[in-house]
Amino acid sequence: MRGLRSAVFGCLASVLCLSAGGSAIAQDAIQVGVLTIRSGPAKPIGDDILAGIETATKMFGPVLNRPVELVVEESLFNAQAAVTKATKLVQQNKVAGILGTSTVETLALLSVADRLGVPIVTSNSGSAAITRDRCNKWVFRTNAEDLMSVESLQELVKETPRLQQAKWFTIGHDYPWSRLVAGSVKGVKDLQYVGETFAPLDTTDWAPFIARARSAGATAVIMPVTLGVPLLQFIQQANEFGLTGTAVLVSPIGLPDWLVEKLGSTSTNVISAGSWAAWRYEEAWPATKEFNEVFYAMHGRVAGMQSLQSASAARMLYSAMTKAGSTDPDAIVRALETVEVNTPVGSLKFQPNGRQALVPLFLGPYEKLDAPRYGATYAQRADPFPASKSLPKSAAEYGCKL
Amino acid sequence: MFVNILNGVVYGSFLLLTSLGLSLVFGLGRVVNFAHGALYAMGGYALIAVMHAVGAGYWLGLLVAPLLVIPIAIAIERVAIHPIRHRPDVDTLLVTFGLSSMIVGGIEYVWGTGTRLLPPPSPFDAIVYVFGNQYPIYRLAAASVSLLVSASVLLVIQFSPVGLRIRAITDDPGMAEALGVNRKRLLTLVFGCAAGLAALAGALGAPIFAIHPEMGMNILIDSFLVVVLGGLGSLGGSVIGAFFVALTKSIGGGYFAEWSTAFLFLVVAFGLIIRPTGVFGRGRVA
Repeated sequence: MRGLRSAVFGCLASVLCLSAGGSAIAQDAIQVGVLTIRSGPAKPIGDDILAGIETATKMFGPVLNRPVELVVEESLFNAQAAVTKATKLVQQNKVAGILGTSTVETLALLSVADRLGVPIVTSNSGSAAITRDRCNKWVFRTNAEDLMSVESLQELVKETPRLQQAKWFTIGHDYPWSRLVAGSVKGVKDLQYVGETFAPLDTTDWAPFIARARSAGATAVIMPVTLGVPLLQFIQQANEFGLTGTAVLVSPIGLPDWLVEKLGSTSTNVISAGSWAAWRYEEAWPATKEFNEVFYAMHGRVAGMQSLQSASAARMLYSAMTKAGSTDPDAIVRALETVEVNTPVGSLKFQPNGRQALVPLFLGPYEKLDAPRYGATYAQRADPFPASKSLPKSAAEYGCKL
Repeated sequence: MFVNILNGVVYGSFLLLTSLGLSLVFGLGRVVNFAHGALYAMGGYALIAVMHAVGAGYWLGLLVAPLLVIPIAIAIERVAIHPIRHRPDVDTLLVTFGLSSMIVGGIEYVWGTGTRLLPPPSPFDAIVYVFGNQYPIYRLAAASVSLLVSASVLLVIQFSPVGLRIRAITDDPGMAEALGVNRKRLLTLVFGCAAGLAALAGALGAPIFAIHPEMGMNILIDSFLVVVLGGLGSLGGSVIGAFFVALTKSIGGGYFAEWSTAFLFLVVAFGLIIRPTGVFGRGRVA
């Protein structure tokens, strides 16, 4: 009887020890929040963002000899939901940093960033204000912002004789970024600008806008249209109406790769004036190739623009944690300010006394590959446009006062 | 200008298909069907299901897709709308809103959230010159099919015995029921047929607007504008409303794009104030 009691006690003690050990392992993991879109028409963008972070976590973890655990939250592309979920990530999950946000979420988090008190490294936010006049101690950005894209667009026009001689027309969505892009084209000296039209955000039938471009005799159409379904619809309908036969389509921030594959040969009518990333940069940069291979092995598809960017943001955050030697938020922020790392989009560091990464943009046309790579048949040619040209001044001169 | 008018007629023909169904269902059962857009999307997905699963061509898929959606819609009506039909209008509105989310969620579960492109079927994948303007043949073909089907629906409503019953219930449900018209059965039938029309519009529009789970949302809003402008339950009003909304969007898009949506909503709001029963004065004030 005593033997039996001892055996039962022993078993219980073992179970308790094991569960305590398991709990210790769980506590030991570094929690990193991923706040991104997980439903609706923009979900493919969120899928790419998450896949990039997962790949980077596999490649560059563990950090500080601790496994990295991703806590994924749905942002709904909604400011209020983003604030609620970010608060939950910080207060309940005790995350050491937040990745994955897009413009809507990042702008919303700026106002509560001091209260959240953890580094937020965004990789999919265009609004220049985020790292200019509204810059914040806690919010860093790895992708190029809108005004950097404007510089690369102007460079593309200056360097491409076909585009210099073209009759330019803007078809965009009716919001400030589109007008900024249109203004930047108009700002190129000696350029023939024949008109512009801005469609309501709920536009599904682009026929009236395409008709305007045609009647204006446009031979180059810049299309600041929301990434995702609207851009897909626009390019498909431009092709349907034969606009792609008479005009070259210029995308101010490139096309997501999932969209390129859906468009197929139609994508070869498009030139990117400044993608945030391009997987074919692997031809010049080994870190991109290394990432592309792991990404393809993990996800069975080519690494898209958002994946390459989100992976770069994750790489920066993890390197900063390593440099800081802890997960103390202030220490990570200080490390982020000085860390310099080889990422899938190039060698990155943040602007001195600023929060914008000195990141290249990638210009070039979409073309058919000689042979499919990573399952992709069409892709953008990646000609890097360095940050020294798109962001030549200091952070303070751009209005960032930390 | 000519191309913009043509675009308006093409989009108007799609709107007519969807708004006729909305108007019929409201006229007969006082049901404001928020799930109509989701049924439109279901048409697009039923089309690709038929094309991919059976290997059928586009035109056979177009024929079969609405026939697949009709029984699903009838089941939805029997299970979710029929039991609450005598409750206030807001109840059916909320139920159909919930149904819409469930259908879109179901589509996302089965087919994923991605967008699918469907090229126009050959030989309609080319461009034709209309009075010196290039125009895609498929759009003209799709508009012709839509207009033909819409005209058939209007003829059935106007001249067939079933149409007579539908009109009787729309005009005076109490009297029609007293004379032996089975309103419940008719509503089920009409709900199914309205879903079939929406599904047909979704399948016809697939090569133009692409297929994605939320594809019904915009056309639902436009269809409601049509029905409100034309008068709730008024089919003649829907015809006028569909082309008014489509032409305003198309011509407005060509000349005053930034203001066209605001202008459209202003006209509808003004119409509601001065003529709440629609353009022909035959609609209902819900």
